[in-house]
Amino acid sequence: MVQVIVGGLQVGSTYALMALALVLVLKATDVPNFAMAEMGLLPAFVVWVLVDNQVNYALAIIAGLAAGVVLGVVVERFFIRPILRSSHFAIVFMTIGLFFVLNSIVALKWDSTPRTIHAPASATWKIGGTVISQQAVVAVVVGFVIMIALTLFFRSRAGVQMRAVAEDRVTPRLLGVRLPWVFRITWALAGAIATVAVVLAAQASVLNDQTGQTLILTGFVAATLGGFASILGAFIGGLLLGVVENLAGAYISTSAASAVSLLVVVLVLMIRPEGIFGQARVREV
Amino acid sequence: MSGIDWRRAGRPAAFVLSTIVLAVLAAVVPYYLTAYSLYILTEVVIFALACLGLTVVIGWSGQVALAQAGFFGVGAYGAAFLSAHGFPWFGAVAVTALAAAFIGVLIGVPTTRLRGFYFAIATLAFGELMTQIFSSWKSFTGGALGLPVDLLRFGSLNPTVSLWYVSAAILAVSLAILWHVSRTRWGRCLRAVRDLEIATGSLGLSATKYKVEAFAVSAILGSVAGSLYGQALTFITPSSFTSTLVIEFLIVVLVGGVDKLFGAIVGAAFLVVVQEELQSVGAYQRLVFGIALVLMVRFLPGGLVPLLYSTVRRLTGRRRKVEAGPLETDPNPVVDVAV
Repeated sequence: MVQVIVGGLQVGSTYALMALALVLVLKATDVPNFAMAEMGLLPAFVVWVLVDNQVNYALAIIAGLAAGVVLGVVVERFFIRPILRSSHFAIVFMTIGLFFVLNSIVALKWDSTPRTIHAPASATWKIGGTVISQQAVVAVVVGFVIMIALTLFFRSRAGVQMRAVAEDRVTPRLLGVRLPWVFRITWALAGAIATVAVVLAAQASVLNDQTGQTLILTGFVAATLGGFASILGAFIGGLLLGVVENLAGAYISTSAASAVSLLVVVLVLMIRPEGIFGQARVREV
Repeated sequence: MSGIDWRRAGRPAAFVLSTIVLAVLAAVVPYYLTAYSLYILTEVVIFALACLGLTVVIGWSGQVALAQAGFFGVGAYGAAFLSAHGFPWFGAVAVTALAAAFIGVLIGVPTTRLRGFYFAIATLAFGELMTQIFSSWKSFTGGALGLPVDLLRFGSLNPTVSLWYVSAAILAVSLAILWHVSRTRWGRCLRAVRDLEIATGSLGLSATKYKVEAFAVSAILGSVAGSLYGQALTFITPSSFTSTLVIEFLIVVLVGGVDKLFGAIVGAAFLVVVQEELQSVGAYQRLVFGIALVLMVRFLPGGLVPLLYSTVRRLTGRRRKVEAGPLETDPNPVVDVAV
């Protein structure tokens, strides 16, 4: 039981990070980004190539994060910003298109062979009857640190500007907020976080062209559980989802794991349409 | 010479004439095409039918519903199961479509009160759940082993030709009904709900009612298309109805034009042709779809059909009607003004 929960927390942390990246983009630019996981997948492959060529692990991670930041900036500047004035619907389709493009680039370059990123921390500890891997601890700690950092960031000057822009694009501009700059920072940060999420997910299992697809679905589910606007909510939602999935997989059947998590989402949406941590929005004509 | 406005009189005549031409074309096509080409054409028709449902729910009522692959599967399995248990095929399709409509209402009532993105996620979850049910409910669907389909035959015609006639006829009838419906009160109210949901409430229109009905209509179309798809596949497995299919449907709707009835046909033709041409390498398929989506959103947010319309109008010199679709920016955004 405890073993299953530990495994759930490790997977859940990657869901949580993906959810954080999604919430970040949604908070600033108001875009549900279906390409988010693929934006982390390409940099994760950069990490894999470097580690596979005996480059120092830390250097590889830094290079991967840089790639994630660059990709985030490029996507925002050339694909999202030109269509920001059209409806949400159009932007959603744009991100689905980017999902396909990025995913097929990865698939064409590296086919779908499963690969592993060899992390330096791979020992295990035994506490009571439970085996805890350093990987699991690293995943949960990294997720937690990023969550705290993001919460602090949203209280900083740039973070406040970002939230203001999400609420209303006109007034902040009159007050001197540089919209392009805010958007660039957001997407760069989201790209880096997505990279971390995919790298951790790859270390928990394997890396191939399908790693992103499972992660984007679960990321959205976790963000929905958290109410889509709350950093803490998305994080807890991700951990919860990982644990529920693992419990269902262990005690019902492995094929039930994804069905149960989908059921959880549907139930949460039915009972609290704003998510567990969300606040009801007042609508105006 | 006086009295007759030829341009006006020409319209219904042109309509009747083009209908007859299309009907004759559909009737003789099997004698001029290879069995393979006919199969491809049938696939286009089936995908167009499923996506007509999305035109209603996404294009007209403005809700991004992502459960269509589930209804597609319900149609395929329901019709195959019932006709294997003694139902005549058309009866099986009708009963299955009613069941799908019922499921649509069942899902629609709780989900349509969700706003925008939450609705998309909830319907996606329901669609995925249906797919999970297809693979686990083995006595009904045969599980991962699949379910063979009793093939439809009219007299001495072979199954491919029979399926083509049935599919083409059903698509034509559905198009005619929807074209009519789009001009009725129901169709107009649906679009009013899309554009100004809160305002419709103060006019005494129940937004929820219209949204649920639109969802049920799309479920029926998806189910009927699924029954036909089962015939085309001849053997159904749960892997045919995954979320990949949802994205393919979205591509159809977007490439064609979200709120245009003929958009579904244009988009379906694009999808099926790309799939067949790039069958061997899935990654190239996705690359083409992705680039197509990016280019469509960037340069042709209304889809291909408005482009065709405007070309035809330029050629015939008719005035262009200005109408904002759900993808285009509203020139006078009512919502954004209220800060």
